[in-house]
Order: sequence, then C-alpha cells, then structure tokens
Amino acid sequence: MQRDIRLDVAEQSWLGRFRAMGSPCEFVSEVSRRAQALELTELVAAEAWRIEDKFSRYLDGNVVDRINSAAGAPIEVDDETADLLDFAVTLYELSERRFDITSGALRRVWRFDGSDRIPDQKSVQEALQWVGWHRVNWQRPVLQMPIDMEIDLGGIGKEYAVDQCAALLIEQGGGPSLINFGGDLAATAAAVKRDKWKVAVERSRPDEPDRIIDLKRGAIATSGDARRYLENDGVRYSHILDPTTGWPVPDAPRSITIAADTCVQAGMISTLAMLKGPQAEAFLKAQDVVFWCRR
Amino acid sequence: MRRKENRSISAALAAATCSLLGNGIAAAVDAQEEPAWDFNTSLLYYGEDSDRVKDFSVSAIARRMFVDDRFLALGLTVDSLTGATPSGAIRQDVAQTFTRPSGDAAYAVPAGVLPLDDTFLDTRVAITAGWQQPVGEKSLINVGASASREYDYTHIGVNAKFARDFNKRNTTLSAGIAFSMDSLDPVGGAPTPFTPMLDVGDTRNRIGDQDKDVLDVILGVTQVVSRNLIVQANYSYSMSDGYLTDPYKVLSLVDGTTGDTLVRTLTPGVDGPSHQFLFENRPDERTKHSIYGQAKYYVNGKVLDASYRYMTDDWEIDSHTVDLRYRIPFGNDQYLEPHLRFYAQSEAEFYKLSIRDDQPLPSFASADYRLGDFEAITAGVKYGWKTRDDNEMSVRAEWYGQTGSIPVGQILGNQAGRDNYPDLNAIIVQFGYRF
Amino acid sequence: MNRTIGIAFVAMMLCGGCASMGIEPWERDVLAKDEMQLTTDEIEAATDDHIYFSKEASSGGRGFGGGGCGCN
Repeated sequence: MQRDIRLDVAEQSWLGRFRAMGSPCEFVSEVSRRAQALELTELVAAEAWRIEDKFSRYLDGNVVDRINSAAGAPIEVDDETADLLDFAVTLYELSERRFDITSGALRRVWRFDGSDRIPDQKSVQEALQWVGWHRVNWQRPVLQMPIDMEIDLGGIGKEYAVDQCAALLIEQGGGPSLINFGGDLAATAAAVKRDKWKVAVERSRPDEPDRIIDLKRGAIATSGDARRYLENDGVRYSHILDPTTGWPVPDAPRSITIAADTCVQAGMISTLAMLKGPQAEAFLKAQDVVFWCRR
Repeated sequence: MRRKENRSISAALAAATCSLLGNGIAAAVDAQEEPAWDFNTSLLYYGEDSDRVKDFSVSAIARRMFVDDRFLALGLTVDSLTGATPSGAIRQDVAQTFTRPSGDAAYAVPAGVLPLDDTFLDTRVAITAGWQQPVGEKSLINVGASASREYDYTHIGVNAKFARDFNKRNTTLSAGIAFSMDSLDPVGGAPTPFTPMLDVGDTRNRIGDQDKDVLDVILGVTQVVSRNLIVQANYSYSMSDGYLTDPYKVLSLVDGTTGDTLVRTLTPGVDGPSHQFLFENRPDERTKHSIYGQAKYYVNGKVLDASYRYMTDDWEIDSHTVDLRYRIPFGNDQYLEPHLRFYAQSEAEFYKLSIRDDQPLPSFASADYRLGDFEAITAGVKYGWKTRDDNEMSVRAEWYGQTGSIPVGQILGNQAGRDNYPDLNAIIVQFGYRF
Repeated sequence: MNRTIGIAFVAMMLCGGCASMGIEPWERDVLAKDEMQLTTDEIEAATDDHIYFSKEASSGGRGFGGGGCGCN
C-alpha cells in the first residue's frame, strides 16, 4: 500500500497529495514556506492513516477486526470507537433503521460491478439474518454481536477523518486550508490569496457546463451511484441498500451533494437523503441545507 | 407532521455531530453555487486579398444552466461585410462595363482585370436559441430555432436532436433534423435566368422575390474506444428546394472560336454593359449526402483532433475535407494549437467558365468559382490562456487559400494563357473570451 | 450515391457492433476534460462552418453546418 506524500506548488498555494481510505487525498494550504506546508501535510496524512488503520475492515488486529471476529463474545472498546458507535446509533434512529452499520453482510450477495447479475429473493432473505443493529447488544463501552454479523464504519469514516484533520489544522494554526479526501472535503477558513475555494460538482455528461461551488468555509460531501451500480432489464440498481428489505433503495437520486458546517453532517445528510429514495428532494428542502440533487 | 419530523432530524444530527467531534468545530458553512450564466464571445476579422471580401463579426453565446441539467443557449452574431466578389464574367484584353444588380448604375473594369462586383456591402444579424434537457437517465433532447436578416436575405429555421446512451454510456446514438425557410429579395429583383444583362434603368427581365427551403437530417454515433480515445461518425442528408441560383452572378457569352466575349452595341446616351453577359441558372433542387468521421486522442496531455468528411451531391460535386488540430498545453493553463485543413472539390456538372454562342444553351450554367474544381488549404495556430479571474481567452490566426483549375475542354481560344480561375487568399483572425 | 449510403450504413453497423467496447464509468477522467470534448469551442466551430459554407460547395458534417445566409 502506498504511503508516500507528494508536495507540489499549485496556484498561489501548496498541494499535498497521498492515498488513504481507498481514495486520492489532497491538502491545499496557503502557508508561505515549503517546510511548513510539508509539516502540515504530514500531520493530515498521519491522522488520516491513523483513522484508516484503526477502523478499516480490511486490516487484521484493529478494533473493527476484533469486533467482527469476536464470534459472539463481548468486546470492550475505547472512547473514540464508542463515540463513533453512539453516533451510528443516532443515525440508525434518525433514518428509521435504514442507516445500519451492520448492513455490510449484504455485500455477500450484492456485488456492484456494473453488470446485470442481481441476487434472487431467497439469497437476499438469507443474508438478512445477519443484518440489523437491533440484534446487537451495545452498552458503552461493551459491544456484543451475534456470530456471523459484522460492522462496517466505511459510511462515516472518511467524513470523520476530514473533520478530525480540519480540527487538528485549526489547532496547529495552519491558516486557510482545504482538505479533500476523494470528494469529501472541508475548508478551515476562507482562502486569502484566491478569495474562495472553488469546488466543481461532477457533471453527469461531458457536454454540460461545470457547476462550481464557491466555498468560503464549511464542508461538502457527495453520495452517489455514478460509479457503482448494476443494471438489469433496463432497471438501474444503485448501491444504496435498504437493510430493512435487503434490496437497493428504489428511485434513489443518482447523486446528492451537500454543503454543511462539518463533513460528517454533510455526508450524513446526503446519505439520509439517498435512503429516502423518491422523497430525497422533499427531505433536503425541509433540512434547509445547500444541496444539489441529480437524478 | 412529516415536516416537523424532517426539521428535527437536522437539529438532532447537529447535536450528535457535536458529541462526536468534540470542540473546535468549524464555523457556519458559507457555500454558494457560482452564477449559472456562461458566456462565450468572439471578435472575428476575415479578409481576402486585393479588393475582395472583408468581414468583421461579433458573436456571443450565453448559456444558462437550470436545475436537473437543463439549459438554455442564446446566440447573437453581427457581421459587417465589405469588398467585392467575382461576378462570374471572365477577364478581357479590353475594358468592360457592367450594369449593377440594382439596375441603377454601371461600373467599369479595366483591361486584364478580373471583374468584381462590389454590391456586397451588407450587415447581417443572426440569432439562435436552443433548449436542451435530459429525458430519463440515458437520453437527451435538444430543440432550437434560428433566424437571420440581411438587406436581401431572410432566414428562419428550426431544429431538433435526440441522443441516447448505451453500453455504460460508451456508445451514443443521435438523430437530428433541421428545416429552414429562406427568402431572397435581391436588389432590383431576381433576374430571369439566362436573360442578358440589360442597360441601366431597364428592368424588364426581373422576376421579383424568391424562396428556398432546406431540409437537413443527421444520424450519428459516438463511441468511447479507450480512456484516451473517442470517435464519432455521422451521416448527413440535405435537400434544398427553390431558388438556388445566385441572382447577382453572370456568365460571359463568348465567340466559340476566339473565346472572346461578344461585344454589345451601346445606345448613345445610355449606360449599360459593354459586352454580352447572361445571368446564371442553377437547378431548383439539390440533394447532398455526407459522411463524417472524427477522432480525438489524448496522449501525454496533448490532444490530437482529426476528422474527415466526404460529400457528394446530385450536382455532381464531390468533396473531401481533412481537418487536423493538435493542442499542446504548457505553462499555467496555456496552450498552442496548430491547425491544418485540406479541402478538394470537383466542379458542378453545370459549371462553365463561359457560354459559347455557337452551341445551344445548356439547361443550367454557372461560372461561380465556388462550384468549380479547386483545392484549398487552411493553416493556422491558436493560442489560449487563462485570465487572472480564471476565465479563458484565445486568439487564432489562419491563412486560407484556394487554387482552382478549369477543365481543359472548357478553355476556348484566347482564354488559354489567361489566369481564369479567381484564386482566393484570405486571412482569418479571431479573438475569443469565455467567462 | 447508393455506394455512399452503403458505406455509411456499414460504418454505422460496425460501430454498433462495438457494443462491448469502452471503459468503466470511473475511468472517464480524461474524457471529461474540456479539451477532449468533440466540439471544444462552439463559436470557433460555427465561424468556420460559416466561412467554409460561403466559400466552398460543401457544408456541415459535424452537425447542421452553416447556411441561413445569402452568401452562397
């Protein structure tokens, strides 16, 4: 796995790049000295990799792995993990059980590779036995989960990392910076040298004009199925699965971009809206957030 | 009940986030979409050599994006033309006089000079409007209208296009149709075809206003070949119906042996043509077929754009066009783009250098060099850069040259050894600004 | 004339047969660039179409080209 950092000069700023959590990550800083830009990039990268190593479901030995291989035994977790689990519980309730960190088990029957292979109802029903936060016993700081169930913090992890890095930068006095982890991003303060950060919202067709958001401060996150979906018989199945049915949310928008105070809020509102399927726009209008919804 | 529920979600989420992230959360978000208007403007100068056509043109296209990827495009172009264009009459070793198309005056051309008609001064205004929107998830539809006006020509047209994506959006099929209704109101009225050019003030041979309709159909396929290569192929069909003749163009009536234009006796005290000229006559229908292919290939930051078009029609004109562009980026958002275009066409079946008096008149005839046998080259370069506030500017300079030839069988007597084909040399300079 | 239509038809069918050719949606980064669009500058393309429509006997190809003026 590549863990190197690149630092380049960009227009009136420094651009630090590295890979974390499966995405290309960028850090844009307006400090004047290269040495300081490098120091800040290393700080951001280190925090991103720390969070990745701790919560990735792909790594052996970390807290998520211990929980997933507990085979029914209770596991005691630290404060940071407990905070994330509490947050997941709130989202589980706010989404009427549709945001569920135990829904990863559905991955055993759904593979979103752009093909036309959808599972049959019987396999989906079978997989649902291992899904459902209501089956989990969570009494902070101890978590106990039935055998064969698993948790996956991928739905929160990247946005959480962006916000943690932003907080670190503010603490370190890093000046106006933009953190962008694969499209989930936050600006710590308004860019001084170029007046605002310009973020392009991905266009669905090449011959469309770009939609540009002028970001002074705050965060932007996007949920979408532009890259991962299945298509069968003319019907498009987005990768947003509804853990209460085991099937993709019907009529989910193609992509939702949200601007909010923190990346976690932006990410979670866009996820909650996606889970509402056809009611996504109504939900977003009622939230009074800045949003872009594409069908 | 639902509304209240929805609103409390935001608040609950904000509170939960606060617990998760602890202190030091960023201040309130400040994010706005940039204004939805997009402008593309340009200033153009086109100039042929000597006294021939010069054109200044200002254009602008404004695009307005709406929610859900719909957009409106509005365009305006104003052209100002000056200069003269070959009238179709051939050079002579003596001076010649012609009556202006208006019939109000005459003009003289010295011996040995190619006759040019300068009744071409004009200003033209053209507007276009188009609307595009997606249809479902894989298709889009585009409808538009256009109109233009110059002192002797009015055009209105409508067009529509439908496109659908297949195969993970790697293949796009499209079909388009356009229909124009144009009307001509030539200065002095359109002349009866094949009648002679008459004296100043004599308007006996005029037939008034004329119309022309054009139907265009285009079918296309665009295919993504690889991450760096995209290709397109189109088939076009075009049908023009109505008055297709150029009301201002003539042919010289010549002696079948000497090839010299027949002299005309002028009435004393009356101005008029010194020689005999006949107004041209083209068919009232024209059907064209074209096939076009284009490829854009990205290699190491540079882009090669190559296209080929073959056209054939029922006037027996065949043409080939090869167009090559190579964009080379450098520095901060700058690029150089050299451009080369090759064009070759064969003459129309009724193209004639002159009309001979010792044979019956053909059904149709025109000496318009644009229907002749010629090759053309365009060579130029474009330079583009980004302004301080991130807008795009560009400038291009090109040279366009045509060299033609007359089919050997058409050259009669003294016409040989003269430079009969009005070769063209023009420069094109265009500034562009997008914001 | 028929030969032209025949060639055009075959070319289209060949392209249609490229049904399995292409890239994944996440590989569209290069194609999304402005300079890789089939028409990069709308005004430049319209200007050229108009100039060549006025000075030559052919028009169009890429789209509905030129026309709508008294210059030919």
